[in-house]
Amino acid sequence: MKSPTRSEVMRHLDLVGQLQPAYHQPAQAPYPDEIDHEHFRALLRSPHDIGGEADISIRWEEKQEEQWEANTFATCECLAWRGVWSAEERRRRQNSDVGQTQYLGLPYYGRWLLTAARIMVDKQYVTLTELNNKFEEVRKRYEQSPSR
Amino acid sequence: MSKAHHDRTHHAKKATGIGDPQCFKGEGGKPKFKAGDTVRIRDMADFFYTRCQTYTRGAVGTVTLAVYESPAAEDEAWDNTDKPEWFYSVKFRQKDLWPDYPSAFPNDTVETEFSERWLEKA
Repeated sequence: MKSPTRSEVMRHLDLVGQLQPAYHQPAQAPYPDEIDHEHFRALLRSPHDIGGEADISIRWEEKQEEQWEANTFATCECLAWRGVWSAEERRRRQNSDVGQTQYLGLPYYGRWLLTAARIMVDKQYVTLTELNNKFEEVRKRYEQSPSR
Repeated sequence: MSKAHHDRTHHAKKATGIGDPQCFKGEGGKPKFKAGDTVRIRDMADFFYTRCQTYTRGAVGTVTLAVYESPAAEDEAWDNTDKPEWFYSVKFRQKDLWPDYPSAFPNDTVETEFSERWLEKA
């Protein structure tokens, strides 16, 4: 069963395990009587409501806006102008619906881009099959591009 | 199904040439609070999405301004604009939010916005 794909899958499973939010109590697959009201509230806390959570300072660096970031912003604004979402629906999706691991783990405009793709699928402007096929097509083009 | 699915231009029709939240002016009813009122932030259910920070729940602050009328975030985040309400800017003493806030800075404040449903008279 050894193949480049299988080793990539195994590395992926390892990394996902390391990215789970640290919740310093046994927390996997609890039985219903192990979840009291306080735990339930903590588990449902939206990832963007970080005020008051203990944390360490993060590294901040000035950086130029990258082309893909500007493109992402423009795409998301066009979706708003065409009525696909309002700013609040976009924020709900990119700040809350993504969950804590993605909220903390993705770059800022990465969340915008992922969410733009998600709403197109959710509201059936494209099918998930079309999105995945497009992704494969672009990946193939990228792998074959001489500039790589 | 979201409203946008059957009429995804409903917001544009309402806001074009007017602006948002100006397009909801007059739809929030009579404001319950005014500048200077002392209010407490209610600790209500907040399934799936809210803009009401948990760290303000139960804290007492002062209304500085009734800012505008708009659908609450809980409704607008699913494209529902049927029931706009008043939004208020509320100022808190940092000391009232954070028990360990240093006493050396008793005048520090933080000001943030709430839709009307989150406020009660204190």
